[in-house]
This record gives sequence, C-alpha cells and structure tokens, in this order.
Amino acid sequence: MKLKRRNRPPPQETIVSLIDVIFFLLVFFMLIGRMDATAPFEVSPPISTAGESLPKGGTTISVAQNGALALNGEAIERPALLARITDLLTQKPSLFVRINAHAEARLTNLLPLVTALEQAGVGDVVLVVTPNPA
Amino acid sequence: MKLTRRKRNMALITMTPLVDVMMILLVFFMVTSSYLDLDMMPMVQPEPEGIASITTPAPTLLIRITASGEARLRGQPLTVQSLSRALQQAPHARVLILPSGGANVQGLVSAIEVATRAGAENLRVVRLEAAQ
Repeated sequence: MKLKRRNRPPPQETIVSLIDVIFFLLVFFMLIGRMDATAPFEVSPPISTAGESLPKGGTTISVAQNGALALNGEAIERPALLARITDLLTQKPSLFVRINAHAEARLTNLLPLVTALEQAGVGDVVLVVTPNPA
Repeated sequence: MKLTRRKRNMALITMTPLVDVMMILLVFFMVTSSYLDLDMMPMVQPEPEGIASITTPAPTLLIRITASGEARLRGQPLTVQSLSRALQQAPHARVLILPSGGANVQGLVSAIEVATRAGAENLRVVRLEAAQ
C-alpha cells in the first residue's frame, strides 16, 4: 500500500515571536550582568565563603599581584589615586570603595592603601572576594 | 484652484532592522557583562552612632599571619575549633589579626573567614604601614 503524503502548506515564519525571544534574552542579560570596568592587569580575588553579597555601584580600585593599582579600570599611581579619591569624596561624601585585590598580592600593597583611604575620609571600604573557585 | 494631495501608499513597517538592532544589543550585553558572582568583606565601616564605647578593657586574642600566609593563634595553627574554644573562655573578646607584611591577601581573607565562623564579634586587622 502506498501512503500518500498530504501536501501541507509551508508554515509561515512569524518574525514577531523571534523578536519576543530576543527581547526577553536582552532584558535577561541586561539585568543579571554587571558592567564593570576591567583592570588592565589580571586580578583573581581571594576565595572565601564568609563574604556578604556585594552591592552594585561604587568606585573600584584594583590591586595587581605585583602591587600595581588601577582606578575604575584605568592604571594609576598611588598619589594620583588618592588625589582622585579625594576629588570623588568632595562630590559624594558617602563614597563606596571596593578593592579588587589579587589573591596573591602582598598585604603591604593592600593594608596601607586601606589606611590611606580611611584617612582620606572614605567611610565604606570593602574587599572583593569570590565565594567559590571559578 | 484646489490642489489634491496625492495619496501615498502606507509605508510598511519592516521588522527586520528592529531584529538586527536587538540582536546586536543582545550580543553586546552578553559579551561585555561579567557574570562572576562576587562577594565582599568590609574593611572600613562607618562607626555606628549611639553606642557607648566600652570602657572596660576587653580581653584580646591575637591571630598572627606568617609570611607564608599561615594563621596562628597562641603559637598553634588557627582552626575554627581552637578559636571558638578561646572565645568561649573569654566571651566578647576582641580578636586582633596581625598580618606579616609578606603574607598575601588570601591568607588574610582565610583568617577572617575562620574568625567569622568561630563567632568573633569584634574583629580588627592591624594595618601595616608601607616601608618608605
């Protein structure tokens, strides 16, 4: 017996549903993504499970393994960095500074910086940690 | 004289450029955003107001971090158990972390993690000054 395949009309491709899906994905990625300025050197934060959730926003200072510094993704020397922070503080006294330090960076490159920031008048400084090894 | 407006055909709104633009935006956000789940540890916090400073000197537990990044409490390697035992003997003790300059950030963060897990309430890090 020979079965005859019925001729179906080709389904009409509706572009509207495609737009819906792309729009959904767009909003999804915009919401869950964090747009940070990446430092000009490699920074892998220390691992700790005792951290608290990191709020968005604020100014990011990156500390490289060799002690190099960057402010919001831009390499900078320490005196210039402190001057910029003082400038930012005059604009916004409740400045939130997060320090993204490499896990292998020496503490002599980190702790004096925290002291200098506190002396400059920054009242909210946090250290970025990774909750689980990536 | 009466001018008659010519009837124009209604321009069809084409969806294709819209899809193109959205696709480009989608790829842009996918590529430029970072999806790392990051946490934080406070280093400098605003002092809470209205709390009277404690006048009675609190006992202090000193955690040292060696240059290799190993944390020690009273000469013994620091563990959650040893610190919580010490904290039981001296409740509300101030926990001081004294890092060696050669230690790295991971060593400090690990020591803070152990202290937090052991239930240290008053935790401070002795900040080193840079050798000029």
